[in-house]
Amino acid sequence: MEYGFDFAYVFKYVPKLLSTLDLTLLIVAGAIATGLIIGLLVALPRLYHVPVLKQLSMVYVSFFRGTPVLIQLFLFYYGLPEILKLVYIDVTRVPVLYFVIFTLGLNAGAFISETIRAAVTAVNRGQVEAAYAVGMTGYQAFTRIILPQALAIAVPVFSNLVIAMLKETSLAFTLGVMEMTGKAQSLGALSQHFLETYISLAIIYLIISLLLERVLLLAERRLQRHMRREQEKRSWFGLRRVPPLNRLTRELNLEKKEVPSYEA
Amino acid sequence: MKLDPSFIWTAFVKLLSAIPVTLEITFVSVLCGLVIGSITALARIYRIPVLAQLSSGYVTFIRGTPMLTHLLLIYFSLPMLVDGLSSQFGLGWSSARIPMIAFALVSFSITAGAYMSEVVRSGLLAVDRGQMEAALSVGMSTPQALRRIVFPQAFAASLPNLSNSLIGMLHGSTLAFTVSVVDLNAKAQIVASTNWKFFEAYVAAALIFWGLTLLIERATSFIERKINVYNRGGVA
Repeated sequence: MEYGFDFAYVFKYVPKLLSTLDLTLLIVAGAIATGLIIGLLVALPRLYHVPVLKQLSMVYVSFFRGTPVLIQLFLFYYGLPEILKLVYIDVTRVPVLYFVIFTLGLNAGAFISETIRAAVTAVNRGQVEAAYAVGMTGYQAFTRIILPQALAIAVPVFSNLVIAMLKETSLAFTLGVMEMTGKAQSLGALSQHFLETYISLAIIYLIISLLLERVLLLAERRLQRHMRREQEKRSWFGLRRVPPLNRLTRELNLEKKEVPSYEA
Repeated sequence: MKLDPSFIWTAFVKLLSAIPVTLEITFVSVLCGLVIGSITALARIYRIPVLAQLSSGYVTFIRGTPMLTHLLLIYFSLPMLVDGLSSQFGLGWSSARIPMIAFALVSFSITAGAYMSEVVRSGLLAVDRGQMEAALSVGMSTPQALRRIVFPQAFAASLPNLSNSLIGMLHGSTLAFTVSVVDLNAKAQIVASTNWKFFEAYVAAALIFWGLTLLIERATSFIERKINVYNRGGVA
């Protein structure tokens, strides 16, 4: 078959693929939101050493980190309706999209729970003791003292997870969800210009990951502002003040606190 | 349709035959990735003019796009490249003769290369600068110092990341089914659709992957204990 590579298609397909961007982002947002709730619920028993729940959450995390996402997607897509049928709940009419979000959410939950656990254990033990010493309850100490500090530590790892999730949404097409990769495949099949379609697909993914990285970096700066004493003067046009020496040393000390990163 | 727990075992036995393919894809791509990663990481650390920029561009691009797109890009561009080269130079190659697994191997090696580049770079940067200086001052050449002093320590420092990447590639190898390579995942699909028992087949596949992952984790922690012997302090 004669096949001419035509670069014009790359630009032509970018807007067409962008029309399904909302679905991709919806999957990312849905999965991360589900994952945050599940991750917190799963991390708590291990942090507070709750007997049976602790072992259960360990198995959960081990399973979801130990099996490929693709296998999990198929497993839940085919298995969930059958299991729910045993308790007389019919989910055969639920759209595939919800299965994808649910499964990716469960998967993200396992990674997020590990992130939360690592971040909470990274907070100095003296902080909790100080909180108890001034008379806070366990709940108060967690929400007011531990959580804000743990969040600041967890954000870099969390932003890695969000970007990994963006890339994992490309697997949704295997179940027939028409997100960006699925759309690219059908566009390619339609015009027989597969290569150009996939190049524009790659460009879009690249730009979105870079954008997400920037946005999450802003969040990181904001959450870690308690680690700098004086507020950095806001400069919108890239005019940055020279950081004072004591801040520099504090930032260097900060880097010693290492959080294990889990990458896809 | 009823659940059939005994079929999980049947599928498990049938799936065992596909493990070598999955492991081949995983290990070949990680090893090739390690080579690519080391070259790009060294180019970036030594700031070799053009190579360093190319390497950063490569790492950013690969890490910013899904593994699936790399596979699809290679799947459609490699035949064009091969056919173009052979018609240009009259080599008599034909893209039709490329085995399917080659697409998976090439594309996953490129993917692994970018992730390995970051692993190698962080490992090399974790080695104290004084080690290199000491090696040079006792008269070693730079390659000698790298090979004898820096690399072993960098390897120890990056072992956890390496094992994470290896597990990542093991899980990523499931994508090979999109280019019709019969790996574990594709085999599970075949077993599932011929017997019309999807759930049971995927449970079996998940169990195998889970086992392989735990095996890699165990092996890593074993090697980690062995390799960090120099680090423990004390005498003898």
